[in-house]
Amino acid sequence: MNRALFLHTWRANWVRLLIVAIALAAWGSVLPIIYNAFGSQFRQLMESGAIPRQLAEFGGGDVFTLTGSVALGFIHPLSVGLNLVFAVGFAAACIAGERQRGTLEILLARPISRRVAYGTLALSAALFVGLTVGALTLGAYLGSAVTGRLAELGVGNLPILWLNGTLLFGAFAAISLGASATFDRLSPAIGVSLAVVLVSYFLDVLGQLWPDAAGLQPLSLFHYLDARADLAGLPAWGDFAVLAAVIAAAVAYALTVFPRRDLAAPS
Amino acid sequence: MDDVDVIETHGLTKQYGARRASTAVVAGPWPGAALAELDIVVREGEIFGFLGPNGAGKSTTIRLLLGFLHPTAGQASVLGRDIERDSVEIRRRVGYLPGGIAFWDNLTGERLLYELAALSGRPPVRRAALLDHLELDGDTLRRPVRTYSRGMRQKLGIIQALQHDPDLAILDEPSEGLDPLMQRAFYEILDELRGAGRTIFFSSHILSEVERVCDRVAIVRHGRLVALEDIHSLLARRKRNVEMRVEGEPPILEGVPGISDVRRAADGRLSCRLEGDVSPFLEAIAGSHVVDLTIEPASLEEVFLEFYEDV
Repeated sequence: MNRALFLHTWRANWVRLLIVAIALAAWGSVLPIIYNAFGSQFRQLMESGAIPRQLAEFGGGDVFTLTGSVALGFIHPLSVGLNLVFAVGFAAACIAGERQRGTLEILLARPISRRVAYGTLALSAALFVGLTVGALTLGAYLGSAVTGRLAELGVGNLPILWLNGTLLFGAFAAISLGASATFDRLSPAIGVSLAVVLVSYFLDVLGQLWPDAAGLQPLSLFHYLDARADLAGLPAWGDFAVLAAVIAAAVAYALTVFPRRDLAAPS
Repeated sequence: MDDVDVIETHGLTKQYGARRASTAVVAGPWPGAALAELDIVVREGEIFGFLGPNGAGKSTTIRLLLGFLHPTAGQASVLGRDIERDSVEIRRRVGYLPGGIAFWDNLTGERLLYELAALSGRPPVRRAALLDHLELDGDTLRRPVRTYSRGMRQKLGIIQALQHDPDLAILDEPSEGLDPLMQRAFYEILDELRGAGRTIFFSSHILSEVERVCDRVAIVRHGRLVALEDIHSLLARRKRNVEMRVEGEPPILEGVPGISDVRRAADGRLSCRLEGDVSPFLEAIAGSHVVDLTIEPASLEEVFLEFYEDV
């Protein structure tokens, strides 16, 4: 790791990180509050059969249990979008974006190997993702505490949920960093990264809503985040291993490709 | 000290994919290469000009030396280290000014120089003197770089490349965007660096600048080295433009050693090109009544154009 590059990266991103973290913490706290206010009505509605079960338990979450509402908060498009600000936005831009702007020149003209540069940016991305998922997790804790429902949450299992979420968005970040290390321009790097996320999300949602497509869910990275099981203290460690393997493969790819690439003069 | 080689290339060759072949070598053993079999030696303490038209292979060479590109064939060393194996160690002792430099524009000039020095891992011992030479004051440095003019950005580029007192500075079109006063200040900086034993590898299109600052020059065309000479030898070889007006019988200049391109006008005006020793020319015109005579050295540009022209 290069300390100067690490500090430069943090200085360049801390304001955005703060905004995203506050937004995620706020979002994380909202769903326990909604559950506290309307959970019993939602349960009655659910038990009446007016809402199909697949819709009521979207993404492994719901709003008629506290753990379900926290799980829904993790998989909801709003929180996914906010987490992707760093998992895709930062990770896809940190090499390809600098290359497109021409600023990679002055960075790599310094005594920093490409492996070290990649490693420093990967570490920064991992910490950004860890902090944004942490803010979401903290929001869930605060929302539960404010409503006096902490006993229902299983606070001791929150670190497991945080780890699972961090691995999921870390996998997206690792894939985005791999794309960033591959392309000379930002748009293909962002395009590939978003395509992976959107296809993944689509496959997971499709598998949930349509039982015949359930076999496609293991192809989605979102399938390997089970917030409710994590909060129940029954994490599927195999899912954690799958996400870790995806990260390892993406890192290995980038560490192979980036140092061997020719970086021709920007056109 | 001048015998130490700072840059040494042997058969250095770079061949890109077919997409980039438009700027490449058109004949020889590496058709399609952006750079073919480059052999140059840059000695310690000299200012070495690296010249050529656009697409000749100048940037490719610089990027190979700095590890941005991997050579297809050949070897090169910078400061005694292999460009492939020891690229990080090389960059620790090199300052680089890319052509058309880009910065992190949201930073202030001050912050940018601080961060780039930190990334270099060497203290910015020359920064204050460079700021003074190039007249970048504190108020300017406290502004975001995005508000800087082209010339101010170029000054910042020069400072970031030289502030840590590198043993070798690789400067790509360094005076681009500088006004004449700042160009002069920049030449003074180069003189100081040369005096301190630093080596400058200098790519430029401004030939008067090359004539002013360089000790030796290499000229590349279509990815191949076409000349590598001491600047004084190159200047001594250049032809002079002669114009004269005579009354009466004009001198016979055809066949005189060093004389070429003789042209005569009806009003007694005569022009020609003169190369080398002037004595045969003076002897040839001695018997004529010369009422006006002008001998001007050909511009360095004309010398270079002879190399640049297609055979």
